Amino acid sequence: MELEFGAQSDIGCVRKNNEDSYRAAAEMNLFVLSDGMGGLEAGEVASRLAVDTVLARCREAELNPSLPLVGKHVEGVSGASNQLASAIRSANEAIYRTAQQGAGQQGMGATIVAVWCTDERMSVAHVGDSRIYRLRGGELDQLTQDHSFVAEQVRQGKMTEQEASSSTMQNVLIRALGIDPTVEVDVSEELLMETDIVLLCSDGLTRELSDAQIAAVLGKCDGPQAAASRLVDLAKQAGGRDNVTVVVLRRAAKPVGAIARIGRWFKNSA
Amino acid sequence: MAKLILKFDNAVLKEMPVGSKEVSIGRSPENGLVIDNPAVSHYHARVFSEEGRLMLEDFGSMNGTFVNGQRVKMVTLKPGDSVSIGKHTVVVSESREQDGFASGTGGAKLVAPKINETVMLDTKERREFLQKVAAVGESSQVAPSRLKVATLVVRKGRTDRSEYVLNDKLTVVGKSGMATVKLKGWFAPKAAAQITRRDDHSYYIGAADKIPNVNGQPILRPTILSPGDIIVVAGIELEFLYRD
Repeated sequence: MELEFGAQSDIGCVRKNNEDSYRAAAEMNLFVLSDGMGGLEAGEVASRLAVDTVLARCREAELNPSLPLVGKHVEGVSGASNQLASAIRSANEAIYRTAQQGAGQQGMGATIVAVWCTDERMSVAHVGDSRIYRLRGGELDQLTQDHSFVAEQVRQGKMTEQEASSSTMQNVLIRALGIDPTVEVDVSEELLMETDIVLLCSDGLTRELSDAQIAAVLGKCDGPQAAASRLVDLAKQAGGRDNVTVVVLRRAAKPVGAIARIGRWFKNSA
Repeated sequence: MAKLILKFDNAVLKEMPVGSKEVSIGRSPENGLVIDNPAVSHYHARVFSEEGRLMLEDFGSMNGTFVNGQRVKMVTLKPGDSVSIGKHTVVVSESREQDGFASGTGGAKLVAPKINETVMLDTKERREFLQKVAAVGESSQVAPSRLKVATLVVRKGRTDRSEYVLNDKLTVVGKSGMATVKLKGWFAPKAAAQITRRDDHSYYIGAADKIPNVNGQPILRPTILSPGDIIVVAGIELEFLYRD
């Protein structure tokens, strides 16, 4: 299965560093995005280490599907999903070690979101408050649940969505990479259908734009790169208070041959 | 251990660890954190820890103490909280000094996280918080999900089996090779609908090639399933329930 993607990362209008990183390994249908935190350069170091470690570990796993897992085996998901979660745990260890080694880098950490499509099955994994969305049939759904203080309050019914979106606690995470020696990774699987559009983004996008605005851009834009650029532009127009990074992907359109066309005609008339 | 960062117009004026020792705030030089400004009372407020929590108490000051924009008398502080006293701001931050973070390396390294900059919930608080979350999760996990298995029972239509146990996080209904609930027939869609299990053991049904109906309602967005729900999609009818 072939995917096409577009991506853009921008420092925004206020910050002095871009602490976001992303990697798009289209040849293996793997897309990873991370938002770093920590003073000075620590955030950049952390997010770069996060995406590079995940990429390297998944490459290894692709060559050797029985690569031993870091951490526990998750029941009810594929080998690839388990390898993706394992790669993220490995990234956690890498950042944690780096943070412990350099005194100035303590407090460094990162979020991560990743998708890996091995077939129509898309493995989805994350830690932190970067997000993955899917547009299907005009409906935008968030496939990840933020590991943030306010999101947890909403889940427990202690806060409404509205209170959460105006809370000053929005920036407080309850899970991130590099903070503790081990981390719990959320992993799930989704179908990737021909008409689906998937978005990975840092919170610099979702703090500036509503779901409706995001859905409108993804639904209207001419291709993943145009959508990625448009989203970043809009986030900056809305204030660009944080770094903003997006990766947009979808299945590449198959050339439609005569037989496929007849097949489609049959299907539509059925 | 937390620290307080005194700021004026975003400039860091002073930093001070807080925790075991109480820090009083005010205009009088006897305070731990002195803010020399007429808008500030002589003894304005104090920050102290109680049962592992960081507390802020306003001493009935003239102009008040505000946390994240709300006037307060006594509140629990969290990392990232912003306390306004007059035109000054005291930001609560997680201090790493006891971990060997050098404090003598100049102010630049110790700049407080700007509002909006991502921070972690302080380690101790985070542990307590996550334990509470886990406890809530367990109590809300009604017996069915622990002792019983989520099952789809085929009521009508052609499928390869009459019952399916939902072991996987993703269950696809369709003709595709990865479908669990296998549809038969020439015109059956590859993927008619999908059911996903979340980490809290709830099951959500969503549309794929087709829009499923649950109890007669079309499902446009992923929707949680309850025992007894009847799913109609691509010519088949399924009941969602928990089996022993």
